[in-house]
Amino acid sequence: MEFGTSGSLNEDGIHVDMDRLKKGEVNLGTSIMAVTFKDGVILGADSRTTTGAFIANRVTDKLTRVHDTIWCCRSGSAADTQAVADIVQYQLGLFAMRNGKPPTTQTAASIFQEICYSNKDRLSAGLIIAGWDERHGGQVYSIPLGGSLHKQPYAIGGSGSTYIYGFCDSNWKEGMEEAEAVAFVKEALKEAIKWDGSSGGVIRMVVLTAKGADRHLYLPDSDYKIRHAT
Amino acid sequence: MAMFSQNPTMNGPNYSFSDTPRTKAPEGAREHRFDPYTDNGGSTLAIAGADFTIMAGDTRLTSGYNINSRYHPKVFKIGGTTSDQHDATIALSVVGFAADGEALKERLDAICKMYRYRHGKPMSVKACAQRLSTILYQKRFFPYYAYAILGGLDEEGKGAVYSYDPVGSYEREQCRAGGAAASLIMPFLDNQVNFKNQYIPGSGEGHALQERERKPLSRQEVETLVKDAFDGAVERHIEVGDGLQMMIITKDGIQEVTMPLKKD
Amino acid sequence: MPGFDFSNYNRNAALHARGVPLPKATSTGTTIVGCIYDGGVVIAADTRATSGPIVADKNCEKLHYISPNIWCAGAGTAADTEFTTALISSQLELHSLSTGRKPRVVTCMTLLKQHLFRYQGHIGAYLVVAGVDPTGTHLFTVHAHGSTDKLPYVTMGSGSLAAMSVFETQWRPKLTQEDAVKLCSDAILAGIFNDLGSGSNVDVAVITSEKTTLKRNYIKPNERTQKLKSYKFARGTTNVLNEKIIRKEDLGNFVTVEEISVAGPGDQMEVDA
Repeated sequence: MEFGTSGSLNEDGIHVDMDRLKKGEVNLGTSIMAVTFKDGVILGADSRTTTGAFIANRVTDKLTRVHDTIWCCRSGSAADTQAVADIVQYQLGLFAMRNGKPPTTQTAASIFQEICYSNKDRLSAGLIIAGWDERHGGQVYSIPLGGSLHKQPYAIGGSGSTYIYGFCDSNWKEGMEEAEAVAFVKEALKEAIKWDGSSGGVIRMVVLTAKGADRHLYLPDSDYKIRHAT
Repeated sequence: MAMFSQNPTMNGPNYSFSDTPRTKAPEGAREHRFDPYTDNGGSTLAIAGADFTIMAGDTRLTSGYNINSRYHPKVFKIGGTTSDQHDATIALSVVGFAADGEALKERLDAICKMYRYRHGKPMSVKACAQRLSTILYQKRFFPYYAYAILGGLDEEGKGAVYSYDPVGSYEREQCRAGGAAASLIMPFLDNQVNFKNQYIPGSGEGHALQERERKPLSRQEVETLVKDAFDGAVERHIEVGDGLQMMIITKDGIQEVTMPLKKD
Repeated sequence: MPGFDFSNYNRNAALHARGVPLPKATSTGTTIVGCIYDGGVVIAADTRATSGPIVADKNCEKLHYISPNIWCAGAGTAADTEFTTALISSQLELHSLSTGRKPRVVTCMTLLKQHLFRYQGHIGAYLVVAGVDPTGTHLFTVHAHGSTDKLPYVTMGSGSLAAMSVFETQWRPKLTQEDAVKLCSDAILAGIFNDLGSGSNVDVAVITSEKTTLKRNYIKPNERTQKLKSYKFARGTTNVLNEKIIRKEDLGNFVTVEEISVAGPGDQMEVDA
């Protein structure tokens, strides 16, 4: 692997290659988030995939299942995040079979982190892992570009997230009811889609609770008001 | 392999195919410069006959993989007294950067009109050709990105074609192809107009073989050659197509003909 | 050794550093599309191959065979689409033989994406994968870097915008086979006429659970225009500087000649019963 000399040095003297994703890759210029609530977690995402100015897919599913009640939100390179998610899905499937019980969200997040950290020079993947398990209930983990792992009550990510830091900070509450949490995610993503040109399309959500995974779909046709069947 | 974008920051085809490949900027430096030139494709052609000149060009205007216009003429009448140039005697064709071509045409036309106003007679092709060279060389260090060909009848009434490079070097020729498909059309013209590489069968052995003698072509023959040349170019060059515009300059004035070409 | 040969890598890198340009690969600056309908899937492609602004092939084939019920349309570097589809076709055939099941479209798509991801986009193959298998009708796109999408209608290549404009205005759910073929060929025509990287003819493949029908040159909207004049030269127009004739019986002095008898009914190659 050759290391480019373009890009900029940040204050720590670490070289950041800004051009890494600019070679015509399929990009998830994205708005993604995951929040914990009273009974579990909710993952949310927009649905736009771009190559340059062209929208390669306007109904993308960026919420990917890696186990029954452990899912992830993908941002960055579509190829890289799909490859990582495929590997983790395989690992968790194996884990469940060998141990006779489902993996915890923490286990999943650790596997994600291992891959993202050890391949940090090759990947452009910003992931949010969210899951529900018997022992810990709903949990959210965020793995940004370098491969670090952060357990958070809620996480936002992707290019659109910069527009909603203030909104989320003022409106997020510990222990929300499901309907309240769904409304929070929806309002946040609506703002992100409104202001970020690289985000758009439909809003997808997955609600993870003891009852399993429940998919939500909201279309811009109805101003994201009506929940559609998936 | 970004083939979807016209964004210059990506590696895909840029606004023009003849852009030099982007080389990496020197260490640490990020070059951020506006490029004022675009190659708008297309091709032109001019052939001088005994008592006529034919100027032709396709009418497609492109940038990158896009067609900006299917009818954008490249051949213009120059130096008439009215806006429709009905009494013009000289024609100019331009390929390269369309905006520069347009500017060059306007400039030369204005100069020819001023000449007529001051001297009470139209400019000769010879004088017009020299003046065009001067106009181009004046912008030696910020050139008009245009390959121009000037056509008309000389003082003796013979067909005259003058061809130029973008900075004003020029030459009177029998025929010339310019633009995107010049390298496809020019060898055809060498063979069919000047009979290059054609020998008279049985006129000798080996190098002693006699070359086929040049004879001036008739107007009908030239029109046929021009149409066939463009039909050939359209088959193999993606920037050439849509329409063929032809101007036939004779002592009776300039006649303009347009006909369709393939549109893919 | 299997795989790619990198033995010229260092030499070429050194030449490139001294300003020698890389050889230009034939690119299928292309329009390719696919569309699912009630009962199957249709894929289509134009037939122009380019090298820069020059047309390298006026009637090339961009629809590639994977298995009887799975076909691929390829855009990007011509050699990469050709070899990648051939490689995966072979792997899928062996896989199908060892499992004793019909190949699946998802299997094909996964093999393709994993192969392309391993090469990090250096294999410039942009593919539309379509097929019908025991699990149903499927349509995918696979990008050179290894990302995939699953959609009811897809376009790729330099003409993808022109083609997608047709789908986004004309597509509706539950198309008939005739409507799907019409929609796909209209999308390709939009690419042929509005994208300079695409041109010449329309190729269409219709895949159903019963059979695949390849309609080569389904529409030919760009027939060569007839030349106005004959350019036939009189014999002797080109001067001959020297001449040497080799007779058939003297051929053995220059190359090894072996007489081969035409295979009779008993000599035929053994194939599956």
